[in-house]
Amino acid sequence: MTKTRLRAVLQWALGVWFVLVILAAFFYAPSASGFKGESARIVFFHVPQAWVAVLAFCVNLVASLRYLRTRNPIDDARAAAAARLGLVFSLLATVTGSLFANVMWNSFWNWDPREVSIVILLLIYAAYFALREAIPDEERRGSLSAAYAVLAFVTMPFLVFVVPRIYWSLHPDTIIGATGQLKLQMESRMLQVLLGSLVGFTGLFSWLYTLEVRLARARLARRGREEV
Amino acid sequence: MRASTLLSESLAVLGKELTAELRSRVALNAVGLFGLTTLIAVAYQIGPYRIQEQDRPHLLAALLWVILFFAATSGLSRVFVKEEDAHTAKTLRLAARPLAVFAGKFLFNLILLAALYAFIVPLYCALMGYAVQGVASLALLLACGAVALSATSTMVAAIISRASGSTTLFAILSVPLVLPLLVMLIQGTRAAAGSTTIAAVLPALQGVVSLGGATLVISVYLFPVVWHD
Amino acid sequence: MSAVSVEFKGVSKRFGNRSVLAAVSGTLQRGRVLVVAGPNGAGKSTLLNILAGLLRPSRGEVVYRNGDAPLARTHWFEHLGMAAPDMAVYEELSALENLRFFARLRGLHLEDPTLQELLDGLGLPPREHTRTVGTYSSGMRQRVKLAQAILHEPPVLLLDEPSSNLDEAGHGVVADLVARFRELAAVAVATNDPREMTWADARIDLAL
Repeated sequence: MTKTRLRAVLQWALGVWFVLVILAAFFYAPSASGFKGESARIVFFHVPQAWVAVLAFCVNLVASLRYLRTRNPIDDARAAAAARLGLVFSLLATVTGSLFANVMWNSFWNWDPREVSIVILLLIYAAYFALREAIPDEERRGSLSAAYAVLAFVTMPFLVFVVPRIYWSLHPDTIIGATGQLKLQMESRMLQVLLGSLVGFTGLFSWLYTLEVRLARARLARRGREEV
Repeated sequence: MRASTLLSESLAVLGKELTAELRSRVALNAVGLFGLTTLIAVAYQIGPYRIQEQDRPHLLAALLWVILFFAATSGLSRVFVKEEDAHTAKTLRLAARPLAVFAGKFLFNLILLAALYAFIVPLYCALMGYAVQGVASLALLLACGAVALSATSTMVAAIISRASGSTTLFAILSVPLVLPLLVMLIQGTRAAAGSTTIAAVLPALQGVVSLGGATLVISVYLFPVVWHD
Repeated sequence: MSAVSVEFKGVSKRFGNRSVLAAVSGTLQRGRVLVVAGPNGAGKSTLLNILAGLLRPSRGEVVYRNGDAPLARTHWFEHLGMAAPDMAVYEELSALENLRFFARLRGLHLEDPTLQELLDGLGLPPREHTRTVGTYSSGMRQRVKLAQAILHEPPVLLLDEPSSNLDEAGHGVVADLVARFRELAAVAVATNDPREMTWADARIDLAL
């Protein structure tokens, strides 16, 4: 009972928090110089979405490794839940980033290394689910998709650090380089809103994630009862 | 006692793959013909003169790897898919240690890739008028690229052979894993074409070697899981 | 050859919502042939796969013992020989090459005459030994499969429909093989052939 009440309180708090973040993003944060119109405000939503996509990838990795050790179906359900959310958020981050790019540079896509990284992340999530669909046996599905998740994780540092470095050495003055500098000298009120939004999105992720895991647990429990 | 024979067992698997391949030539034909067909299509439609001088370094390096990658995709998954199709996987699973199976199949794919590169790359350079300055650095890059690509595709092949709808799944699963590798290889090839010094390809080479190494290390841990479940 | 016994307790297996095996128990030990009988689809092969460690049971457990000491799952395969309809040998290789390959994988140094003797004993004529398995009849393939299973004289032998595809003479070969291994190994035979059920020292009947 207390657990249910705590959940309800947290959900309400999350809702209020998000309302505040949205209001702050539009009215509290000053408009950034060097951007077209109010386009920079998308950063308050875009960056946290990308962060959650990466966070989900890490949660998926941890759950996958756990599954390989324990073979507990709930760990497989955890990995799948994290990947599902990761897929949604990497899609959102790609779309918001591309909208911003269109306003700023009149092009939805600029092949910036960071754009490429998030798209590859998206592809990895999609491949992960394509693999799951193709394996009818539950245990095998769990262990093979966990193995793929671990294998995919190995490429991540290369996408984030190595490939862009090689890329930069050839193109020192790419357009996004300018935003990189702008972000560093972000005004303190903008930073507050961004951090607030990061907290909010992380909360949203953990709420959705626990919801999925509880659902999976209930399904497993029901099946367990049917078997007896 | 069994540890000392791991090498012998891996070579037994490799030897079996080579004998079977030389008799059926399925993978060799698939990879070779796929590579040749794409190469001819590209060379006929684009050739040495259709590309503007300033675009040549970028386009020629990228086109080369597109050809090499797609040719390889058609054959590399067979090492495990054919075991499942012919129902020999279970027999092999009971008789061999997982590591010997992985090592043997990895080496077989490596040889297949090396043969493909040795066949396609000189032809490509001739047909496309691709003048490579650093031949030694390109060879080094190709060798390291083959190791990294073979490691990744052997693992993905093992994974998809146990799922249904195998061959399409191989492309879907391997593309995101191989993309960073391809980007580095294309960049390195561009650098090798333009400079005689090894230093020019070093950043790409480091990336390829460390990604290939990381994949190999993680495969040793993951493969037994994939193979036995 | 050490005496390895296999004990299984309450083994159940489900595939999705379909229950294939429900709480099956028994023991494999040297000197006693266990026959697993039942109609097609009753789970005979599934049980053998679980005993081999190729499948994990949904419930229940399988324990290998070498003497009194339990054997870790990772070492089961070394003590195991198995022949089953879904365990083929390589078609691109000859019978002899297949056996050489499997012997090398198991770390055995067997000379060709030994391997040929084994094939002869299972009724594969010498002129066939060096032809590729792809050219064989299904009965000849079955003999190579059996040779592969007993190559390393395993202390645990699992035979799934061992006389399938075999003629009367082939059936006799399998009967001799089972009689010989009864004294050497813990043997399980999955079958629905009435003649093979007479080999049983113990029997498990699976129903649909």
